[in-house]
Amino acid sequence: MIIKNTQVAMDTMFVNEIERYGAKNFKACFDCGTCTAVCNLSEPGHSFPRYFVRLARTGARDEILKSRELWLCYACGDCSENCPRNADPAELIAALRRYTIASYEPTGLTKLIFKNNPVYILLTLVLAVILAMLLLSFRPESDVSRWLFQYVDYQIIHYGGILLALLLILSVIYGFVRSVKNYASGGKAKFWDTLKETTKEVGIFKRYLKCDTYDDSYWNGKPWYIKPWFLHLTIFWGFVLLFVATGLDYLFKDPNIEVWWPTRILGTIGGLSLIYGSSLIMGYRVTKPTKIYLRTKMADWIFLIFIWLTGFTGLWLEIAIFAHNHTMLTHFIFLVHIICAAEMFLLFSFSKFAHTLYRPIALFNYYKTKL
Amino acid sequence: MKIGVYICHCGSNIADHVDIEKVRETIGQQKDVFLVKDVMFACSDSSQKEMVEDIQSQGLDAIVVASCSPKLHLPTFREVARRAGLNPYKYIQVNIREQCSWAHSNDHKGATDKAIKLIEAGIEKAKRSEALEPIKIDAINAVAVVGAGIAGLRAAIELADMGTDVYLIEREYFIGGRITQWDELFTTNQTGREIITKLYHQLISYKNITLFTGAEIVETSGSVGNMEIKVRIKPRYVKPDCVFDMDKFEKAIEVCPVEVEDEFNFGLTKRKAIYKNYPGEFPEVPAIDHDHCTRCGECLKVCEGIDLEQKEEFINLNVGAILLATGFDPYEPKEGEYGYGQVPNVITLQQFKRLIELCPDELVYAGRKIHNIAYIYCVGSRQQNGPNRYCSRYCCTAAMHTALLVKQKYGDIRNFHFTRGIRTYGKQEHIYHEALEQGDVVFQSFNDPLCEVGEHNGTAVVKINDFLTRGKPMELEADLVVLITGMVPRKNNTIAQLLKVPVGRDHFFNEVHLKLRPVETVIDGVFISGASQGPKNIMESVNSALAAASKANNLVKKGFISIEPTIAFVDADKCQWCDKCAQVCPFDAFEQVDYNGKQVARVITSLCKGCGMCLPVCPEDALQLHNYTDRQIEAMIEDLAKAK
Repeated sequence: MIIKNTQVAMDTMFVNEIERYGAKNFKACFDCGTCTAVCNLSEPGHSFPRYFVRLARTGARDEILKSRELWLCYACGDCSENCPRNADPAELIAALRRYTIASYEPTGLTKLIFKNNPVYILLTLVLAVILAMLLLSFRPESDVSRWLFQYVDYQIIHYGGILLALLLILSVIYGFVRSVKNYASGGKAKFWDTLKETTKEVGIFKRYLKCDTYDDSYWNGKPWYIKPWFLHLTIFWGFVLLFVATGLDYLFKDPNIEVWWPTRILGTIGGLSLIYGSSLIMGYRVTKPTKIYLRTKMADWIFLIFIWLTGFTGLWLEIAIFAHNHTMLTHFIFLVHIICAAEMFLLFSFSKFAHTLYRPIALFNYYKTKL
Repeated sequence: MKIGVYICHCGSNIADHVDIEKVRETIGQQKDVFLVKDVMFACSDSSQKEMVEDIQSQGLDAIVVASCSPKLHLPTFREVARRAGLNPYKYIQVNIREQCSWAHSNDHKGATDKAIKLIEAGIEKAKRSEALEPIKIDAINAVAVVGAGIAGLRAAIELADMGTDVYLIEREYFIGGRITQWDELFTTNQTGREIITKLYHQLISYKNITLFTGAEIVETSGSVGNMEIKVRIKPRYVKPDCVFDMDKFEKAIEVCPVEVEDEFNFGLTKRKAIYKNYPGEFPEVPAIDHDHCTRCGECLKVCEGIDLEQKEEFINLNVGAILLATGFDPYEPKEGEYGYGQVPNVITLQQFKRLIELCPDELVYAGRKIHNIAYIYCVGSRQQNGPNRYCSRYCCTAAMHTALLVKQKYGDIRNFHFTRGIRTYGKQEHIYHEALEQGDVVFQSFNDPLCEVGEHNGTAVVKINDFLTRGKPMELEADLVVLITGMVPRKNNTIAQLLKVPVGRDHFFNEVHLKLRPVETVIDGVFISGASQGPKNIMESVNSALAAASKANNLVKKGFISIEPTIAFVDADKCQWCDKCAQVCPFDAFEQVDYNGKQVARVITSLCKGCGMCLPVCPEDALQLHNYTDRQIEAMIEDLAKAK
């Protein structure tokens, strides 16, 4: 620590650290402020992205972890498109969000995997194997299970799984408490009004519509159903619908019901929506139509792949059930589906998924000062 | 008398607001006007040709061109007259554009009437104009170059190369000036000394350059073309013909009992009275500091090349022009300015540059190993309340360059720049970029002072409300605070007073015209170059030195100088020598002479600029200005005042 003050504690080594989270070029910044000027979401009192360049440069860790603005950004890339130094401020914001997610998680595991791709991949694979074992342990009479229990005691797998789930729930609670504390704005708005506004924003991403509106913007004039705003919406609502459908299925304890049942229709629409959104976004990350897609990180890929796999395998099962197909392949697909969905939720606070928790909290506190 | 009048349309500039047809008709009725023409562009080639033909075929005695300001085209039409064989001073320019059509664009009739009046007055002046010849004065093809820094050396070599004799006069015992104090330079990474060594070897290859060190001009007289300067040369106390033995010199340094602050290192170290600033310094022989040596004779015992009997010498030199390359002083912060002199480990950039060179392996200042360095910019420059409003230009680049250098040299260094905004203009922007890439942190504030330097447990603490981080107060514990001090004029600037070189608001030497005559001064034959004129980096200094060298050479190389004949002259019969003219003359162009047994004033033609300051103060009306005589001016006024 070099610069210190009761208000701002700083660390110049942070520059090297944040580079490993994916911000490769932000040091080229010469503080002109073009990014802040072109950003349609930046406003007095909540100005960015230049502010983040300063915080990153001076290593103001506490300030970064307290910045609601990180979650006000929808990563449209207007700033990076207009940066005269190619400093890629949007990429810095993405990196700082990764840093925040990693810091809001108590084990330090996220810090490791966000900075190290092979470890990240290894972790997801190992977790998949563990989950497979766990799932198989529910059916101890199967061939694979019998083979497995020669080596591992059933109890270990069973209680290990429960312990893991508990730890993960604890980590989510930890992240929740920290973000609630850090993002507290001391705004005076009424709780219910603020909650209403936040829910509205989370439901339709209205502020996202301000992005990509410049005449020379790539997305300006493109049909609405292929714009990033809509795709984000399809993934979000796909998730919500699937969540609701799964929950109802769980309540009625009978997943083997007709395709035309409301809960199944809900699930089908959600799944299709999820596949549509994630497929197109993955497509953009491959074809790179704008600067924002130039440097996709492992954290982005893994989250997207899990979403897509969950949606795809779910749809496969839907068709298989409809067609009464009970082959070995379908069973395997079912296993993959469960593993993907489970891993996504298990790694909730260890992955990009955590933004669904931190963004609403930040937005809530933002609206508290605005309303 | 045959007078030709040309009325210019200037495209539509004049013709839109002045009724040219009417003007032409009215002027045509004037007595003595032999020919009137209106032309679309008087300055065009075809119009000029037409004028030449008219003058020659019609035998015109004088011409009047009513067009734009004489500032723009007086030389053009004088040249037309000269080509046609008419004396150029028989040409009168009337300004009906800036002073008529442009000024009265809303009053067509008024503008037309005024144009007629102005032209009529011009005709009256032309009728009484005298044919004048340029005054030629002898010029000595020799230039005194004052200051042997990078600008002076470069100018001297250039002048010598063009065939002008050069007297290079350096106040210090050694040449090279400021740049020998800096180590590596941007962008070539050459050191200042390498550059000076190169220049010195070039210098001594010229037979027509005479170098004086420890020398200073103490008196000047004469004027452009023939200036006499008296130079005082301090003794070096080293036998001129001796082959100096460096081992003995080392011993002499050892035994010398006198210790003085080493100005070369900006007071970071001490030196003896016998010294050399660095081993490869030129001239190679060391010097004994005349001002501090006590003549104790200790050095004589170990070194026979020393001669303490040497005396000050004075020599007189005659030169055609003087080129000043006297350089700058670094700004000296006031006691307490950003903690200077009060908080430990606060030094200037210049001291820091020397410190880096004095610390070969690790950066240590006042016993402390340096890791965190705070650079405070614009100290002594861009002052919001102080006298130095100007930007010193070189310092942002110098500071960034030095910051990169220390990182490279010592490794474990963290740089923090406290700025009012970085001005690494031009190519130097790369340095800024590089420093940012290397993780240097740049703070910005527009407060005055831009940050505060305090002390906490013996460590300097810099506080700033950083504009770029939403004005958040921040604090840095710095091992070393470097004040990035700009350039100020030389403290000891006697040469400027001797030559009466005008200085600007910034107290640097002033040029005649910032853009068109950037190296000339209003004192004819005195040229300025380098940082004596204002803050400059090395490239800009050399640019101006080369410009000044070519201007100086151009002035003296022909052996004579032509000057404008439109100067003052004295009617000796009327003059009673009251001294009033001599008192008001800004150029000292009057001398007192004997005329038929009485004392009268006489104009020194080589000094008079024709400014006319002396005319109104003469109680006897004995002074006149060529081509602005009372006869001419009175006739013009009479014509202008005449009712229609």
